[in-house]
Amino acid sequence: MTLRLPTLLAAAALVLTTACTPGTGGGGGGDGTSFEFWSFAAINQKLSVDAYREKHPDVEVKLTEVGTSTETAQALTTALAGGKVPDLVLIQGDNLPKFVQQPQNFVDLRTLGADDITDDYLDWVMKQSVAKDGEVLGIPTDVGGMAIAYRTDLFAAAQLPTDPAAVSALWPSWEAFIETGKRYKQATGKAFIDNAATSVFYQAVNQVSEKYYSEGRDLVYDRNPQVRAAFDLGVAAATAGITAGQTSFESAWSAGLAQGQYAAVAAPSWMLNTIRSTAPDTAGKWAIAKIPGGAGNWGGSYLAIPKRAKNPQAAWNYIKEMQSPQGQLDHFVRVGALPSTPSVYQDEKLTSRQDPFFSDARIGRVYTDSLLGLKPFYIGPDSATIGQEFLNSITNVEQSGGNPATAWDDAVRNIKTAIGG
Amino acid sequence: MTAAAARRRPHGRVRWWTYLLLSGAAAACLFPLYWMFVVATTDTATATRMPPAVVPGDNFFHLLGLVLDTVPFVQSLLNSLFVATAIGAGQAVLCALAGFAFAKLSFPGRNTLFLVVVLTMTVPTQLSVIPQYMIMSSLGWVDTLQALVVPGLASAFGIFWMRQHITATIDDELVQAATIDGANSWQVFWRIAFPIVRPAAFVLGLFGFVTAWNDFLWPFIVLKTPERYTAQIAIKALQNSYDVDLGLAMSGSFLATAPLVVLFVLVGRRMVAGVLEGAFKG
Amino acid sequence: MAITLVPAPRVAPPPLAPRTARGLGERLAPYAYIAPFFVLFAVFGLFPFAFTFYVALFDWNPIGDQVFIGVDNFTRMASDPRFWNAARNTVSIWFLSTVPQLLIALLLAHVLNHARLRFALFFRMSVLVPYVTSVAATAIVFAQLFDRDYGLLNWLLGLVGVAPVDFVQSTWGSHVLIATMVTWRWFGYTTLLYLASLQAVPRAVYEAAAIDGAGPWQRFRHITIPSLRPVIIFTVVTSTIGGLQIFTEPLLIAAGAPLTCGAVRQCQTLTLFLYEQGFGEFEFGYGSAVGVALFVVVVVIAAVNYLLSARIRADR
Repeated sequence: MTLRLPTLLAAAALVLTTACTPGTGGGGGGDGTSFEFWSFAAINQKLSVDAYREKHPDVEVKLTEVGTSTETAQALTTALAGGKVPDLVLIQGDNLPKFVQQPQNFVDLRTLGADDITDDYLDWVMKQSVAKDGEVLGIPTDVGGMAIAYRTDLFAAAQLPTDPAAVSALWPSWEAFIETGKRYKQATGKAFIDNAATSVFYQAVNQVSEKYYSEGRDLVYDRNPQVRAAFDLGVAAATAGITAGQTSFESAWSAGLAQGQYAAVAAPSWMLNTIRSTAPDTAGKWAIAKIPGGAGNWGGSYLAIPKRAKNPQAAWNYIKEMQSPQGQLDHFVRVGALPSTPSVYQDEKLTSRQDPFFSDARIGRVYTDSLLGLKPFYIGPDSATIGQEFLNSITNVEQSGGNPATAWDDAVRNIKTAIGG
Repeated sequence: MTAAAARRRPHGRVRWWTYLLLSGAAAACLFPLYWMFVVATTDTATATRMPPAVVPGDNFFHLLGLVLDTVPFVQSLLNSLFVATAIGAGQAVLCALAGFAFAKLSFPGRNTLFLVVVLTMTVPTQLSVIPQYMIMSSLGWVDTLQALVVPGLASAFGIFWMRQHITATIDDELVQAATIDGANSWQVFWRIAFPIVRPAAFVLGLFGFVTAWNDFLWPFIVLKTPERYTAQIAIKALQNSYDVDLGLAMSGSFLATAPLVVLFVLVGRRMVAGVLEGAFKG
Repeated sequence: MAITLVPAPRVAPPPLAPRTARGLGERLAPYAYIAPFFVLFAVFGLFPFAFTFYVALFDWNPIGDQVFIGVDNFTRMASDPRFWNAARNTVSIWFLSTVPQLLIALLLAHVLNHARLRFALFFRMSVLVPYVTSVAATAIVFAQLFDRDYGLLNWLLGLVGVAPVDFVQSTWGSHVLIATMVTWRWFGYTTLLYLASLQAVPRAVYEAAAIDGAGPWQRFRHITIPSLRPVIIFTVVTSTIGGLQIFTEPLLIAAGAPLTCGAVRQCQTLTLFLYEQGFGEFEFGYGSAVGVALFVVVVVIAAVNYLLSARIRADR
């Protein structure tokens, strides 16, 4: 007992002296000039918030930036189910459909003036956040685009070309990509890419014109030849022995990135920041080539306002300003996130931007080009679950000794179990 | 073998392999903490170099800064301290009180009620987290620390343990004498019984503290904003970024473990003694 | 010892009414003392437990509708391979983390129970250190030590020519990893529990047996184990109840697919499956059904273990 008193006193002293915790800006008093904002890690909304506060010093923003996009979506759901909701929340594209299905949980942004701005955004991106009866539930932030980031020094060691144009010419198709991987493996004995599930299958399946649902919103994942083709590519990459068997974003994947365990990785625009912070010692040794196959997009998020938010107007002001074409362009200049507002795609600040970390690649141009000719597909409420089961099946073949011949049937069966028929 | 005075434990020379075995066990227990410290003072690149590093580096303060940037870690340590202390102290007093009632007071239904207490230990509570969350949200307690403290105060095992202890250490005559002198049951408890069993209650409180400090599932479900995180959840938050820094996660882990290790060095002897005096004499 | 008591309230015999009133307060006092536990347990233990059974009869979307569907959740669970996979994983992990732990604890307790052991306090405190270590920290550290490509253990195995073992992506590997973590955490505490009971065995008993010709193994089997019977029963039952509900370690070792614990759910336990369905997929009803199933599993296996361990012959 006697030991606890000094401890308690020390704790009290600490509480008094640690008054400044980053991000506690009061927020949420219902007075309309402050708001609470839930974002997720590594998406750099903090810089956006800081820029906003510079222009509006009287506004306080309580920003939470921990957890993955999935965990933020889970926290949002439990909050909607009966807790405190934030005023503004960032929802990643994969998690959005389940929320759009229950539009009663969010403010219809048309009531705040969304009709004035929805035309600014790529229409296939905007469509995703519109509910059945036309309610606008979210405003898009960035899109990912698609590309391959590769290590020029490791390519050179394998007698492969290093110039981006030449490298892009190596793999017009995914089959050619896998062949290049085999060449690399043969020359160096090391892994070519990080994994087959994310860097091959997931990219290929996001380049299709129709994915897991038909335009009429029917489930077609098991009958769609485009999906099957992408899946087979993933299995082929897994069985070709060209991957390092590192599941994306695990700590060993990060370690492998830093240590050059693999020479190439699928890299949408937001991945560049990940590479930068995970492998700072490799600056200047990377370059960016075109993705095999056609146009495609990986990633993108939306800003939404929950129904019970106390400060919807303050949150909307933030959205209107920071997600306007100019706002998104400024964000691109700050962190390299590709805007979803096509009107700025020809802006000089975007097209001329070069990144020395990636051998002065023109990152604005590379990614806007990767969106050219994109044929949008419908994303339904179970798309994320279906995609995850396909990923799991390929990972099973790649890392756990799963049988490639039965991988497709296993995946379909697991999907049927997961989504209930 | 020489007939010594009534000793309880085996005599004779201790074999060398006994020490070897025990040293091995101690090393296995302590090495992971040491290694955690090593990684917490270096960085991912060094930690994943093969052969792995086994000597501490000098990166500690830089990583400490990063940890504090990512989550309000000091706040989470304070949250853990608050919750664990409240639960430890609360359990110590409440279980001593209830244990005293079951041990020394006679009232109708006493034995049945005690049996019920024992039976409640068989209810696995982890599986009811979904309704528990629903209760918290209707109380408005989601994302609060009281949602952690209040349910944690009910410890059937604590009552069982205190009752054993009180039965073993406090004579009925003592209670009777006090009652005859005019003390009511509260006074008997607070002024006579509790001071006697305070060491045992303290140990119970310590174990309650440690258990509450290390609790994961329930805080994980019920806490939402980083300012409310306990240390365990803060560590998990460090693990989840798209740019995983191993040094960062280990740094946070080390910071969340160190307070308890320090506490343990201070009062561990009592905890060990507490277990050894146990409630399981035959 | 000096005892300060409340001075006797009255000298003369008290009037009838106040004494009855005070007597009533005294009679109710014990119930007041035990009430906090019962109230707290009723609200936060019993009611949620019972409510789980109720919610399990619904298709309960926390941000959508709640539809009564009777036993559909249970029929779906019975034919759900993920459920049976989680059940198998749970039992396997429980077995791997309980049996070695109790055996190691028995051995260590026997060894620690020696009058002339030097550094006894150091050894005893060392084995309790894992118990106070943060659970989340343990999971992160062990996952790194056991990593396939960059872990210390695989590096050591490589020195003796063993190919790298994937302790996360393989089924038995992940079970071993989790079992190692759980064993590491608890074996010290269990050892001390056993040691406590051993210290109550008089030396004279061992001496008599030695004189009668019993060797070390026979002394262990016929004296040590029977005298540890109550505490062995206790540890078997409590580690069963705890071991079947393991959640944190599986959640934290597969950071890429945390809720399923790996691409093929190789280490997903029933509690993790419950969490995944409840808070990942937001099927509160289905998650509650899994909770009910978990309860049945725990009760059955704990009962079986109790009966098995109670068969140890009692002290003679």
